[in-house]
Amino acid sequence: MSLSASSLAQELKTQALANAQRSGSEGDALAALEAANFPERKTERWKYTSLQALADGHLNAIADGEISQPLPALSEHVVTINNGQLVSHNLPDGVTLSHDGPAINGLQTPFAFYNSAVASQPVVLTVAANTRIEQPIHVQIQSASDAPAHCNPRLVVVLNQGAEAAVIEHYHGQGEALTNAVTALVTADNAQLTHYRLQGEQASSLHIGTLIIDQQGISKVDSYQLMTGNRLRRNDVRALVSKSGAELNMKGIFVVRDKTHVDNQLCVEHSVPNCESDQNFKGLAGENGKAVFNGRIHIHPGASGTNAELSNKNLLLNPGAEINTKPELEIYNDDVKCAHGTTVGQLDAMQQFYLQSRGIPAAEAKRMLSLGFVNELLMTLPHEKVAEWATPWLEAELAHTTPAGESAA
Amino acid sequence: MLEIRDLHATVADKPILKGLNLTVKPGEVHAIMGPNGSGKSTLANVLAGRDNYAITGGEALFEGNSLADLEPEERAQAGLFLAFQYPVEIPGVSNMEFLKAALESVRGAQGKEEWDSVTLLRQARAACKQVNLDASFLKRGVNEGFSGGEKKRNEIMQMLLMEPKLALLDETDSGLDIDALQTVAKGVNSLRSPERGIVLVTHYQRLLDYIVPDFVHVLSNGQIIKSGGKELAHELEEKGYGWLTGEEESA
Repeated sequence: MSLSASSLAQELKTQALANAQRSGSEGDALAALEAANFPERKTERWKYTSLQALADGHLNAIADGEISQPLPALSEHVVTINNGQLVSHNLPDGVTLSHDGPAINGLQTPFAFYNSAVASQPVVLTVAANTRIEQPIHVQIQSASDAPAHCNPRLVVVLNQGAEAAVIEHYHGQGEALTNAVTALVTADNAQLTHYRLQGEQASSLHIGTLIIDQQGISKVDSYQLMTGNRLRRNDVRALVSKSGAELNMKGIFVVRDKTHVDNQLCVEHSVPNCESDQNFKGLAGENGKAVFNGRIHIHPGASGTNAELSNKNLLLNPGAEINTKPELEIYNDDVKCAHGTTVGQLDAMQQFYLQSRGIPAAEAKRMLSLGFVNELLMTLPHEKVAEWATPWLEAELAHTTPAGESAA
Repeated sequence: MLEIRDLHATVADKPILKGLNLTVKPGEVHAIMGPNGSGKSTLANVLAGRDNYAITGGEALFEGNSLADLEPEERAQAGLFLAFQYPVEIPGVSNMEFLKAALESVRGAQGKEEWDSVTLLRQARAACKQVNLDASFLKRGVNEGFSGGEKKRNEIMQMLLMEPKLALLDETDSGLDIDALQTVAKGVNSLRSPERGIVLVTHYQRLLDYIVPDFVHVLSNGQIIKSGGKELAHELEEKGYGWLTGEEESA
């Protein structure tokens, strides 16, 4: 089925509302969905991402396939959410799981509002005050469906005052499943959170997700967002840096090969004085892969003394690949330090010559340089288990081979 | 081992080498000196096969094979090594990983015994020690954040491991203090052998106090205009290049 963008937008809204009403949604969540407009072609924030794939009817069915290739555990503490439903959890002392959480601040997309309206059992993990959780909490969010279908996982992580934890938000998707996810990270004073967002769903599956980082307290959040492309991947990442002294570091890697797609929309809201944020994303596109990166830093009138940086460096491996990147600074205060830079380039000819001059064949030199481009960031991952999982995953993607465990197409 | 006959070469289409002749036999150390812009570094880069450095006339034969027909990696596999004037930083590729790939390829091509990772690490540590480079440099990105002197020592360290048949050193002395210069010279001297040729490209005579050449050539305007023994370097040091090129040297 092929629909014009505006009739598709209408269709998606109709499907979303029908699902919301069926699930008994009411109140603010339903009202927000009713007021939302699904993106059309002229919608600026969706300029480079077409939703045409959803004309296959993903919103008409709920994914309920079997997860035939579940993720390995990267920690003793694992929470598993399959097709939007919590199926098991094993948590350390100091972390509680409930289905009632605070309302999530800062949601903006119609897909996030839809998630709010229909996700009846959000997974809310709360880390007790002044508690340090040694091992990371591995949250596996898996979806599977042979036919177009979707699910709406919703994860909220709350770090109370003085809490320290690491959370791995890890997606796996099979078949034609659309994962429509919302994740919120909420930190109180003196909390320290290390967050990983690993998105390696199969190329045939889809992901539309919102990540909210809500720094309500003087806290430190380090977030590592690693992803490969698939049929449609759209991430809206919004950080609310809302208390003076808060510090945020976001690093990311996106790799798109063949005909895959990734769209990252970052927005860091600096609303109070004297906070720091640093965003460093690297992208790599090959074949007909397409990546979009929009990095917005919004410094509000009162946010003097803000120190914010954003960098997005990209590599194009061949002429058919496409990367659209844009830094967007919106600054309403004179007393700030703000730096940004985005580049799109090819492999450095001098680096390549240097490797070849040492006897390394051209193709191998290219592979080493592409991997080196992302390795710089992979080498900084603080948890060994995550690095051990992520490095071969991205290496296989860069070498353009089929990773172990997936049969060749 | 190296036979260069009437070599003409361009850099980005600009003629730089204009009929250069040079013969290097196994066991010999040659120094190529000359004023800035005379084509010294061009010669080194042409021989190593850098992009945009094109041979437009004459020939350069390495053990009888025309270098023009070989890719840069094939030249290295055949036993040619260029120590760069400006070694390149490659963040994200560790020195060790780089050495492993290089040695696997070169040793394999030369039919030498393959080094397992334990042997490789032991050899690499020994080579580091020989040039006063802390072994921790092996874990770092290739040349990443190295000082000028550390980069040059890293070049010599690689050269020690690669055991080339012909080593080209492009202004390896530039930017080195006297201690580093001695360390580098010691490394190069340890490689002197009856089977190996060494070509030193340098602007100053200083390096030649530590690595004493068998032959000195003066390159000017893309040609070798004078050749002699090591005493020629001293003469140049006293009289400057203007003595031979007929031009005042400004540098």
